[in-house]
Amino acid sequence: MTKDAHACWHCGEALPERDAPVAMIAGQPRAMCCQGCRAAAEWIEHLGLADYYRLRSEPAQRPSAAPAPGQAWSRPGIERHLVRDAADGTREAVLLVDGIRCSACVWLIERSLGALPGIERVQVNATARRARVVWRPDLASLEQVVEALARTGYEALPLDAEAIDDARQRESRAALKRLVVAGFGAMQAMMYATGLYLGAFHGIDDSTRDLLRWFGLLVATPVVFYSARPFFEGARRALRARVLGIDVPVALAIALIYAASVFEALRGGVEVYFDSVSMFVFILLVGRHLEMRARHRAGDLTDALARLAPRFADRIRDDGSLERVGAAELKPGDRVHVAEGSGVPADGTLASAACRVDEALLSGESAPVRKRRGDPLVAGSLLVEGPAELLVERVGSETVLAGIALLVTRAATTRPRLAQAGERAAAGFVARVLVLAALTAIGWILVDPSRAFAATLSVLVVSCPCAFALAVPAALTRALAVLAGSGVLVVKPDAIEHLAGATHVVFDKTGTLTEPELDLDRIETAPGIDRDEALALATALARGSRHPASRAIALHGAELAPRNATDVAAEAGGGLSGTIDARRLRLGRADYALPDRVIADEHEDAVVLADERGLVAAFHLSERVRAGAQDAVAALRASGLSLEIASGDAPSKVAAVATRLGIDAWHARLRPADKLARLADLREHGARVVAVGDGINDAPVLAGADVAVALASGAELAQAASDIVLAGERLDALAGARATARETMAILRQNQRWALGYNLVAVPFAAFGFVPPWLAAIGMSLSSLVVVLNALRIGRRAQAGPAIAAPTRREVAA
Amino acid sequence: MTILIVMIPLSILLLIGAGIAFFWAVDHDQFDDMKTPALLPLLDPPDASEAQHATGHRDDAETRE
Repeated sequence: MTKDAHACWHCGEALPERDAPVAMIAGQPRAMCCQGCRAAAEWIEHLGLADYYRLRSEPAQRPSAAPAPGQAWSRPGIERHLVRDAADGTREAVLLVDGIRCSACVWLIERSLGALPGIERVQVNATARRARVVWRPDLASLEQVVEALARTGYEALPLDAEAIDDARQRESRAALKRLVVAGFGAMQAMMYATGLYLGAFHGIDDSTRDLLRWFGLLVATPVVFYSARPFFEGARRALRARVLGIDVPVALAIALIYAASVFEALRGGVEVYFDSVSMFVFILLVGRHLEMRARHRAGDLTDALARLAPRFADRIRDDGSLERVGAAELKPGDRVHVAEGSGVPADGTLASAACRVDEALLSGESAPVRKRRGDPLVAGSLLVEGPAELLVERVGSETVLAGIALLVTRAATTRPRLAQAGERAAAGFVARVLVLAALTAIGWILVDPSRAFAATLSVLVVSCPCAFALAVPAALTRALAVLAGSGVLVVKPDAIEHLAGATHVVFDKTGTLTEPELDLDRIETAPGIDRDEALALATALARGSRHPASRAIALHGAELAPRNATDVAAEAGGGLSGTIDARRLRLGRADYALPDRVIADEHEDAVVLADERGLVAAFHLSERVRAGAQDAVAALRASGLSLEIASGDAPSKVAAVATRLGIDAWHARLRPADKLARLADLREHGARVVAVGDGINDAPVLAGADVAVALASGAELAQAASDIVLAGERLDALAGARATARETMAILRQNQRWALGYNLVAVPFAAFGFVPPWLAAIGMSLSSLVVVLNALRIGRRAQAGPAIAAPTRREVAA
Repeated sequence: MTILIVMIPLSILLLIGAGIAFFWAVDHDQFDDMKTPALLPLLDPPDASEAQHATGHRDDAETRE
């Protein structure tokens, strides 16, 4: 990788303009962007693991500034769910590790954990981003493992003990075995078939011919009865449900070809087709395998479900103070405090006055729902406006979320619309082919019965739906892999289609074009108010909120004596209000905090703290343009997109960022409702909108766009509502992602046209008896191969150079 | 052509052997992670790096080269 002198040695982000922290790595001073990175790098160096920097191929993840919740993991109520006791007295847990970017991460994790006393075994799987850790309970604990990972810069999430027996692993192993058996069988059957074909031309004695046929039967039988079993099972399920799925004609064709061949071999007839049937199964299995891998990758993202359900809850003690406990420890009847922007830990009813939650998880509808006292809340839904107090009713496996998670793991997650359409087209096509085959048979029986069977089989084989069935999954799978490789995680595969056809990009500013962490520049106080007093009051209000401005304030006020705020409520796009010592205070945008007053110019873009009598203090925050934002904006514009900024921030701030990035269209002081209206307006005029955001204020906006893109470290809320996640917060990856999406759509259409064209040419020839079955089998295989090879071209151009294809206008609807 | 009676069953036996070996490999975690093992040979043996670490951070072995 290239080492940029202005980038952090550890994570590759831009360095602060002055006073960058420095760490000594392998005897060299290296500049870091933040203390978190310095601590992580020094810890790595201290462990003697500085080789990591030589081996890695991707910059590391920036360690989160928030302290690791290590202690809480060892509470007995939580450990019971996450840890498995082995017979030899050791304990075992599986962790989902965030931030595994490359193989060097694996090395680093294995070494840094291995250096802890009491750790028996560490096994990291980079593909699944899981680490299995075995330790001796007398020397180490889960808490220490999580803390050690956090210190090295990886956030670890212990998975439930059931995750140790991974259903997904079993599925992929079975699929691999089936695929290889089919491949072996097809290879051998082809070999014997070659002998038979040569024999047909040059003469072959009957005993040798029969010998080759019997061996063909021998190798094709496991292919049909073992490898092709998923097709038969799928067909049986479809028939039982009274639908004509794609498996029905496929299973029918396999059964028919195999049965006819066995019959012919037994009676010493004209032709056997063991090679065709084996090849047919093999090619179909290749398609299924590709699709399964794409689905499993999507499954990694459904692990996000595990993250949606908060592991911890803030239980309210009788005296009103908060106690951090594991969500699994909650009991019906407990009272829980839920902060704005975090998830609801259990099912229950709302015990405070009102709040708004995003229940997209339940309804698919991500517009926040208003809840009043006594309304039900479900675990895993996200509190958009709060905070709230929850009266717990159901916990753990009884919650609605647990039911959903069960459904998700059981069902093969939703399949992309494109793939569904492709499959429907293939199924319709196959139904027509079956009719055509029947007509061919009838026609030839009338004309020349001896050729009827060969011609009918040729039609069935030459017109195999594989090319059709593979056209979409092959392209989508390749695209997902290419995108994931460049740090773009596609949550909903439909997003590729929408991204390719997008015309507008609407950026949020704070946390998207600019860094999420704000700095508190200076505090201006009203006469007679102490600076620390103002900061302590603001901190009391801001503590529960995840808005960047709140975090900046809370961070600075953390060392002051804490004050207690009650009735804290948030208005998205406005600010927070609450009562401290019987004094009603508001913190937020000037027009929110001081609703009926004239706002002084200098407070226009400050965060203002006010009470009933007026201004208490103004907090001036500063922000930096995110690294890569400039390139991303330039590249997106070069690819023909209209760009604009929609921000809730003050006009002066938005204008400054817009000017620096060269974006002409910007809108400031927009509330979420205004942003939604802006998007609706754009879409009404025919635009297809990509919304890029991060943070709580964006969630409804992201949900209102054609494609929602979130930056990976954004508040959980934005990620839950997004279609695409940019890992590593690399905004510049978006332009590349769009180029890849366009390329994918182009190749996908090529594939579909090729499959259609091939079949239109080949089927009539076969029906009229010009194509012998062996040629049909070759044609079928080649047409499928063309589709797969064509799909592999996706991403080639992007790897060759960062050049972005010139935009070409083209209809998107397939 | 009688040689076929020997050669084809032989090839099928080999095939079955290969199939059994493959099934064994799949069941013994050989295909679960295709990425990580490729890197492991590049790493120093853990004992060496730990020993170096234990002797008080001597990086001279590296700086000398």
